[in-house]
Parts: sequence; structure tokens; C-alpha cells
Amino acid sequence: MSADASDLSLVRRVQRGDKGAFDALVLKYQHKLVKLVMRYVRNPAEAEDIAQEAFIKAYRALPQFRGDSAFYTWLYRIAINTAKNAVVSRDRSPVEYDLDRNNNDESYDMQGRMKDSETPEGLVLTDEIRSTVNAAIDALPEDLRTAIVLRELEGLSYEEIAAAMDCPVGTVRSRIFRAREAIDRRLREVFEGGLGRAEELG
Amino acid sequence: MNEELDSQLSAMFDDELLPAECELLARRLSRDEHLKARWGRYAIMGAVIRAERGVRLNAPLAGRVNAVLLAEPALAADAAPRHRNQARLRWWQPLAGAAVAAGVATVSIMWLRAQAPLSATPLVTQVTAPGRVTAPTASGSGQGDSYVVPRPKPAAALVPSTELANYVVAHSMFSSPVARRNLLSAFMTSESPAAGAQEPKNDAKAIAQ
Repeated sequence: MSADASDLSLVRRVQRGDKGAFDALVLKYQHKLVKLVMRYVRNPAEAEDIAQEAFIKAYRALPQFRGDSAFYTWLYRIAINTAKNAVVSRDRSPVEYDLDRNNNDESYDMQGRMKDSETPEGLVLTDEIRSTVNAAIDALPEDLRTAIVLRELEGLSYEEIAAAMDCPVGTVRSRIFRAREAIDRRLREVFEGGLGRAEELG
Repeated sequence: MNEELDSQLSAMFDDELLPAECELLARRLSRDEHLKARWGRYAIMGAVIRAERGVRLNAPLAGRVNAVLLAEPALAADAAPRHRNQARLRWWQPLAGAAVAAGVATVSIMWLRAQAPLSATPLVTQVTAPGRVTAPTASGSGQGDSYVVPRPKPAAALVPSTELANYVVAHSMFSSPVARRNLLSAFMTSESPAAGAQEPKNDAKAIAQ
């Protein structure tokens, strides 16, 4: 199995002018990238802005991407550089002091500097998504739960999971798919019921 | 939704699908909004399992990126002309090289012909003169390097032609076939049958130095 083949096939499509394929790459990596950028900026909204800029830079630079490294490794470097530049330019800009704010209060970063789009409804929905997924995982049969957790949390390949669970690779693939299907059934309800409403509010 | 397709999507998300299948599914994924939405939910599941705290799972980041990129030209439109230019450059490079080489060869031949009509001694003089060392033609007189070769004695007149032959052979790797043929034919017409008997053994080596 060639590593990164799925990303590469999407990248090649983007390079041939298919913007929809880039959308799939953004969907796949947006959370990872925001999480990465949050090592440099603690405000989620600012991290999203930087991640957005990194994705756009990546899109513009894609003609130069030859596939020597994995797409995510390449994207990771772009995001790190974008975040560093953002921090430097922010530090150069005038600082607005809030004398009442406690410097150690992380909630200031999380909530005090919320952008307009980051509504309380949006935060509630994030919590709802999180609790729905966690509840769905808890409800999974053990073999499905182990397979999806080994994959997503430990980052093991199907072959490594097969060795750990003492079963064929095909079984691992099937278990992970069935786990995702079970979680997705419940997640879809949240999205169809709540996400559209949150976006309207945002 | 086709279960096999969804199973493939799940495997593709994990980079566990065969490249050929990835190609086909990538095409469909880029066009099918339902499939793309499912793909996005797979990413959300991963983020929750990894407990990526602080990350807004419902953030419309993909939509924002998409909105910005709508105003951008598709990459193929940008990339294609560059590829075409590169291809054009690649196509011209060997031709340009050949043209330069042919030009140099032509100028050399014309210069040689202008300087030395096919008579034996002057030709030898002119050809050997640009060489780095003319000592072998100086018949051990102790003179330094010079572009003017002393008129040779009648007995030694054949030696420079032999040197020329050796020089041509020694440098045949670097000379153009036309120039080589020209010099060799001049040599053949000017050389006497006795010349081979007097060929110094170390000439090629000395000239090469």
C-alpha cells in the first residue's frame, strides 16, 4: 500500500484544476491544522484565521508540490511558518491593554476575544458534537471501538491494527468502516438538526 | 449510499486504499457533496477521539477557504502555460546546442580554409600553432612557446604532419567529425609515404599536454 496515495490523488486533481478536490483536503486536515496552529496562538478564532491563510497559501503553492514528501508534512510546514509570521506581526502591532484582565486567565483567550462568528450557539454545538461522538463510541461493540481508537488515537496502520487484534487486514478495514458508520448515523442527526441553525446564527 | 463505496471512502481517509482506487474515488469525492460531507464527518470523529480541545468542530473553515478560492483561477490554467513553456524550452535546448556547435564548426572550417589553403606546410603550421606547446616542432632548439613556428628544414617537414595526425587522433573525441575529416584529408594529401616511418612515438602525448 503506498502511503499518502489518497492525498496525492486529491492533490493531482487540484493541480489539474479541480478545486473540489482541495475542498476534500481542507475537510480532512482543518482540525489538525487548527490544533497545530494553537501551539502558537491560543485563541481558536485566530488559529482558524491562520489555518485558513495556510490553506490558501498551500493552494497557491500546489503547482510546485511534487509529492516528494507527504502532503500533510508539506502543509504542516506552511502552517507553522504562517503561524510564526502571524505571531511576529501581531507582536509588532500596538497592544490593547486590559487592566482588569488576569494574565493567567485562559478563558480570556477562549471567550473574551471571540469573533462575531464564534457564537455561544456554535460553542454549544461543538460540545454537542463532541458528546455525541463520545457516546456513539461508548456504544460500539468492543472490537469496533478498539479498531477505530487504534486508528484515530494511536495512528496505527491497518496492518499494525491487524497484528494487534490478531485478525486479517480486511477485517480491520471492515471494523473501522462499521464503527464510522455507527458514529456517523448519530452525528448526522446533530448536523442536520443543529449545524445549519448554528451557521445561520453565525 | 453504496456500502462498498463508503467502505472505500473510509479506507481512503486512512490512506489504506490502493492508488488506482484512490484515483477513481478522488474524482467522485471532489464532485459528490454527500460523499464530501461524510468525509468531513470522518475528520470530525478523528478530532473528537484525539480529544483536540479548543478546536471548533463545527467551524466553517472549509467553507471560508472555498469562498476565497472561488475568486482564484483554477490551478491548471496557471500551471499549463508554465508546463508548455518548460516543454518548449526542453524542445529548443538540444536544437540550440546543436546550432551553436554547428556554428562554431563552420567558423572553424572557414577560418582554417581562409588561413591555410590545402598546401602541406602552412596548414601544419597554422593548425599546430594554436596548440599549447609547440616544443615538439621546435626540433629541440630550446625556444619557448611561440605562435610562430620556425620554418622547418626540408628533412623535418614531414614531422609536423605526423604530429597533426597524432593530435587529431588524440583529440578526435573532442573535435567535430567535419573538422576531423577536413584535417585528415589535408594530412593525407600532404603526407608522403615515408612519413609513417619517421613518426615520433611520443608526439600525441606531448601535444595533449
